[in-house]
Amino acid sequence: MDEKFGPPINSRNSPLTHRIFGLLPQIFTIIAVIATICYITLSDVHSDLYSPDFDASNAVNTHFYDLEGYDGSSEGWLDNERIIFCVPLRDAAAHLPMFFGHVRNMTYPHHLIDLAFLVSDSKDDTMGLLVTMLREMQNDPDPSMHFGQIEIFEKDFGQAIGQGFTDRHGFSAQGPRRKLMAKARNWLQSVALKPYHSWVYWRDVDVETCPPCILEDLMHHNKDVIVPNVWRPLPDWLGGQQPYDLNSWRESDGGLQLANTLDEDAVIVEGYAEYATWRPHLAYLRDPYGDPETEMELDGIGGVSILAKGRVFRIGAHFPAFSFEKHAETEGFGKMCRRMGLSVFGLPHYVIWHIYEPSTDDLKHMEWMAREEVRMQKQEEVMKIYRKVWDTGFQSVKDTWEDEKVRILKNSDPFKLSRHVIVDWSDQ
Amino acid sequence: MTLKHRIQRAMRTNPIKVVVPIVALVILAFYVFSSDTVSKSNSPYKYKKHSDDPYDFARLPGDHITHYDLNKLTATSSALSHKEKVLILTPMASFHQQYWDNLLRLSYPRELIELGFIVPRTSDGDEALRNLETAIKKVQNPKAKTIPKFARVTVLRQDTDAVESQLEKDRHAFKSQKKRRSQMATARNSLLFTTLGPFTSWVLWLDADVVETPVNLIQDMTGHNKAVLAANCWQRFYDEEKKEDSIRPYDYNNWVESDEGLRIASQLDDDEIIVEGYSDLATYRPLMAHFYDAEGDPNVEMQLDGVGGTCLMVKSQVHRDGAMFPNFPFYHLIETEGFAKMAKRLGYDVFGLPNYLIFHINE
Repeated sequence: MDEKFGPPINSRNSPLTHRIFGLLPQIFTIIAVIATICYITLSDVHSDLYSPDFDASNAVNTHFYDLEGYDGSSEGWLDNERIIFCVPLRDAAAHLPMFFGHVRNMTYPHHLIDLAFLVSDSKDDTMGLLVTMLREMQNDPDPSMHFGQIEIFEKDFGQAIGQGFTDRHGFSAQGPRRKLMAKARNWLQSVALKPYHSWVYWRDVDVETCPPCILEDLMHHNKDVIVPNVWRPLPDWLGGQQPYDLNSWRESDGGLQLANTLDEDAVIVEGYAEYATWRPHLAYLRDPYGDPETEMELDGIGGVSILAKGRVFRIGAHFPAFSFEKHAETEGFGKMCRRMGLSVFGLPHYVIWHIYEPSTDDLKHMEWMAREEVRMQKQEEVMKIYRKVWDTGFQSVKDTWEDEKVRILKNSDPFKLSRHVIVDWSDQ
Repeated sequence: MTLKHRIQRAMRTNPIKVVVPIVALVILAFYVFSSDTVSKSNSPYKYKKHSDDPYDFARLPGDHITHYDLNKLTATSSALSHKEKVLILTPMASFHQQYWDNLLRLSYPRELIELGFIVPRTSDGDEALRNLETAIKKVQNPKAKTIPKFARVTVLRQDTDAVESQLEKDRHAFKSQKKRRSQMATARNSLLFTTLGPFTSWVLWLDADVVETPVNLIQDMTGHNKAVLAANCWQRFYDEEKKEDSIRPYDYNNWVESDEGLRIASQLDDDEIIVEGYSDLATYRPLMAHFYDAEGDPNVEMQLDGVGGTCLMVKSQVHRDGAMFPNFPFYHLIETEGFAKMAKRLGYDVFGLPNYLIFHINE
């Protein structure tokens, strides 16, 4: 080796830097080989199982799906996992603008979300407004705003009960009402769910405040079924805020005992004095400063915002439209999922806010408050006139009277007089 | 000596030592940076920079919104004249050519028939899938213009576990019944809830080992206009004693509840089940299989409490209301028998046709 060029780079006697420099090619080659192998194995998972190949050229209207490819994972948005977003609607025109505001803001990649709506028994223009708003959203100049497949289904179920807050929330109305709502959800689910949906998200339109990344927030827990805590804001005279969704709970001994005393078709509903179950409710366990990641295992769940894996509905879990273990609809769904061995969780400190709809009593009270305000105003005006009339019609003689009082009553005040009064206290 | 000189010298003496590391670095950099993600201002999560869009929905025209009026969906006694769509569902662990031939013989127009198959995650399933693929491609091939096409064919590979062995004796071992029937129920539900479409009026459950039915099966069964209706499943066999071809009852899951059945059920734990056809658990339930009368009117109906899935016609609304195949003990019943119970809980009546025979393969 010529001294002019320094020691050979692979020499054992060379300084450490030289030796590392000499080994670099080997190191990089190894890394490159490993990376290539990893890339090939990870990007193209080969299954031993056979997959048929159907396309329009060899078989028309024929499709093959390996359902294992559509299991949900904790970071579905990175794995192109599709969500079917199910929304039951009934006379919901008033809430649609707010709802679409939330939908547009969602951070989950929009093209991975398919929307399915069920419009039932609506007397207002829910349908017309829905189509208008969907068109507007899908024609947005920004293509990342566009959602995937959109399907609207119409089906009327009829209803025995009105849609006012008190009609809906009265105790006796609960059983039949919940069974009917369960049917509506099942009809929507039966047509909306496709083999390629990894996740199903159920959401009510009347949610007022909700994080834009709610799907990711719920999904990263990687549970079969998961719900957030649902509260609602209240006017100041009612205390500012209140737990809204009492359907998310864990079963209690009291609940099980109560269930045993009821007949086969009875439906236990939470939040009514008639059925005291002493169950721990997700809503009441909220700590405003608690960790939003905290999980709580549940037996019954509410339907305001449910994220479930597609597999849950594929294997048959649904919203019982009959009394299943003394529960129906979403609470029965929770019970059925548990029966099927699925994980059902709630997040006590992660809260979304339902709108505030006043009850009949609240409405009465608000009417009274409004009347009271008007009455006070009127009284104020009357008093003004009254005072004016009083001032002109009467003259105040108070000061004069103060002066004259002493003189006029001179002889009537026993304490001011030095008269000696003798009272005869004897019995006779 | 600077790094530059060193590299220049190395280039002269041994170019590979320079080129290989640089290529490796480029490849490494590619892997490190190509999987790069982006963040959004209103979310704490990372997102893909270029998200794949295999369905290309983002580029669809803006008013691509489909609308279905399910109020117009009917399931009537004259299915054919109302052009009602029938979805035939078959869980398929093995492919029998006789099943397929029988299916192709059905006289109901194919443009009104949708097919759905689900195969288990086993090597048996693989074989069934290959055979099924070949069979489907013969019918649905666009070049075969003379063969009428089915409206839609969906083939699914089951994601959940399935029992490996489908041998006759293993299949019917009493102990394995609960697990097997539970997995079967899961397969049926997975098939049902991914293929039920907005136009489906009727669902016909037809087992893969049913090899002979009347050609007017669909017209006959829908004609009864029942929410749930089971045909009587028998089997052809060669009678060794009489030395002649004969038939015998096969599906014992179509039954009427008995007092003894109810009494046994009331003594069981919540997670125990009753299955028919085993002497270990004699329920004395009247079984439809035994009510066959060769001289009788094939249109005779009988009310049932449990049904089998070999040949079962169901109005789609029953499934849409939520009636599915419980994969857990539901009133101590599982799978198709649990389904009958659930349909009844939802207010539907369940019927069977004792004199209307269909035949199971003889293995």
